[in-house]
Amino acid sequence: MAGMKFSVLFAAGLPLVAPLSLSAAVKSGRAEADLTVGVASYQPGKAFSVAVRLKLDRGWHTYWINPGVGGMPVKATWTLPDGWTAGELQQPVPKRFMTGDLPGFGYEGDVWFLVDLTPPAGATGEVECQLKLVWLTCNENSCVPGDAELSLKLAAGDGSAAQDADSIAEAAKRIPQPADLQFGVTEEKGQLALSLVPQLTSKEDFDLAGVSAFPATPDVVDPGSPIEFKKTGDAWVATVKKSEYAEGPTALLDIVLDGGKLEKPLVVSWRAKE
Amino acid sequence: MKHNTFLGAVLGAMICSATAYAIEPGEAAPAFTVKNVKGEEVSLADHKDKVVVLEWLNHDCPYVKKHYGSGNMPKLQETYTAKDVVWISINSGAGVDPAALADRSAKEGSKASEVVVDPDGKVGKAYGALTTPQMVVIGKDGKVAYNGAIDSINSTDAADVEKADKHFIVALDAVLEGKTVELAKTKPYGCGVKYAK
Repeated sequence: MAGMKFSVLFAAGLPLVAPLSLSAAVKSGRAEADLTVGVASYQPGKAFSVAVRLKLDRGWHTYWINPGVGGMPVKATWTLPDGWTAGELQQPVPKRFMTGDLPGFGYEGDVWFLVDLTPPAGATGEVECQLKLVWLTCNENSCVPGDAELSLKLAAGDGSAAQDADSIAEAAKRIPQPADLQFGVTEEKGQLALSLVPQLTSKEDFDLAGVSAFPATPDVVDPGSPIEFKKTGDAWVATVKKSEYAEGPTALLDIVLDGGKLEKPLVVSWRAKE
Repeated sequence: MKHNTFLGAVLGAMICSATAYAIEPGEAAPAFTVKNVKGEEVSLADHKDKVVVLEWLNHDCPYVKKHYGSGNMPKLQETYTAKDVVWISINSGAGVDPAALADRSAKEGSKASEVVVDPDGKVGKAYGALTTPQMVVIGKDGKVAYNGAIDSINSTDAADVEKADKHFIVALDAVLEGKTVELAKTKPYGCGVKYAK
């Protein structure tokens, strides 16, 4: 009997041990959370991406790393085997919205966050990676928290692509990537002047007209203040209102740029000189 | 010369923030008269020469649940009303039923001096209340000494109450001890106040 079962499974092309198993989606509050992995196995020492997906009920939103006023960023806490590391929760380009009178940044519908998991060089065997995800959803009338405990099991192997590799690649296109731009910030009387100068070759092609810009660093730019870049000489400049909750002079600011003529979303970073 | 520059910067900052935030620490606390959940009038003027705490709440908000469910807010109310602080919990939402709020406050263990409603949102807007919870401390001099978050951790997890920097309590203790409040304004976290549209 056992032999027969074996042969039936084998004939159907099913592996003896599932190389990858994921916990079922978890519905909590006003969203459903699940994991997607793009590899069939992990390769020791080599990072791979995992998508953390939130499907929000219609009419509800959750929040970006800079939630604006009110709201709360999504929080991911991993429990991993010895030697494994998880990168930060990479967040796709957000939307601007108002919750009542409060300006905020975040997501509606189907949201794909990405995380890089890295096994140590000496990793062996089947492992389980566990994730505790906590989020807040709000609409015009109320806020409802949600949380989920998700897990994935993977065996060691060659790290070859699995069925969902394309979904992961699609999700990655919405994650802002560092841009080769010279980003300057100066401050005067509650206003911040932002300037972006393209480096290297594509100076002429660089065009920020119609681009949506979002302050990724909380409490630096007033979340209700639009960021509109205009061309002045070689630079693209914008003036924005400083956040009333900023503590002292601005020390750092990351801005996400998306849309217009940009091929992909970008992130530019500025740090004050010490 | 230097003095003028400084004054200019201060004026500039005041002008810029005036629209976004109705009241800044150091300014006179706006007077108000509202009704408590029993239908009695409550005026700020009745509590002259006392330290007054204003707490914005909405028991359906998970952030408010964090501080009541953990017992943190009732404990603070009990501790500080025993120190002669007048603690006024305010619901500035539209369409709040006072009787239902009275029942809910009792159930949540409220030890506030007063639980009041502000159906047209006038008090909330006068103080720039953005979220529930949001905390205001008014000194004996009638000036706003603190306006902002209850503490430093923006979460709905009751386990974070103990871990947080207690901005509001630090400010309230300073006021009671006659000391300067170092951090008089912080960004409140919570659900948006559900003002009448």
